[in-house]
Amino acid sequence: MRPFRRRGDELVARLEPAEAGIVALLLDQLEQLLTAEAEDVAGDPVLDRLLPAGHRSDPELAADYRELTESALRAGKADDLATVRASLPTDGGTVRLDPEQAAAWLRTSNDLRLALGTRLDIHEDTEPPEDLASEEGQQLAVYYWLTGLQGSLVDALAAGRAGRR
Amino acid sequence: MAGPLAPTRTPEETVEEHGDLDRPWVTIVWNDPVNLMTYVTYVLQELFGYDEPTATTLMLQVHEEGRAIVSSGPRERMEHDTSRLHAYGLWASYQRDA
Repeated sequence: MRPFRRRGDELVARLEPAEAGIVALLLDQLEQLLTAEAEDVAGDPVLDRLLPAGHRSDPELAADYRELTESALRAGKADDLATVRASLPTDGGTVRLDPEQAAAWLRTSNDLRLALGTRLDIHEDTEPPEDLASEEGQQLAVYYWLTGLQGSLVDALAAGRAGRR
Repeated sequence: MAGPLAPTRTPEETVEEHGDLDRPWVTIVWNDPVNLMTYVTYVLQELFGYDEPTATTLMLQVHEEGRAIVSSGPRERMEHDTSRLHAYGLWASYQRDA
């Protein structure tokens, strides 16, 4: 991977074929989770994290909030996911994003990290994996790889905003 | 206008009602182990128009104290702010100010 950098108004990165394949796979998994029948994913901790309760102690307010916001939140995530998928070079190569596409990548890469981080039970003191042979080690490696990708996008966007002042 | 026959309220009730009306609602961001510190700072700037030092201070409060109030006002606006934070994956909720 060559991390995201700002090129004029665009944000540009480069992904290896295997990296692009992993992102495509994770997008499919996220989409499956977000479009699953409610009864099939009831209580799924990842879904609870992606669509959290709006109010923590009042179930009635939390239900109101969900009714008011959930469909728009889901639609926004679906739009972002489609934008990322359309701008992902499936066989690897250059990712070139305008500001709107970059915002979609920012939110979707965060959702992917939240999903993986929840499944892997990431804590503040979790360390990058030493054993890459195990399944969990590999997933943890993907999580840290995504962290690097998203971190470079945040830094490039933040530097762009500072530059506009 | 209240005449002599209008129902009167006990002072206790009046205080309570005023307290409810005046107490604003707040939107809170909670600490979580996944969201990057740089990302939280960026999102707070993006959504609330905070300058970078203010957004950084709030982010550090989330990180170190476990939570920070990022906006306050009427309930409907706090619901809206919470949903905008949820769209970015921040762990947010709203409640009446304690």
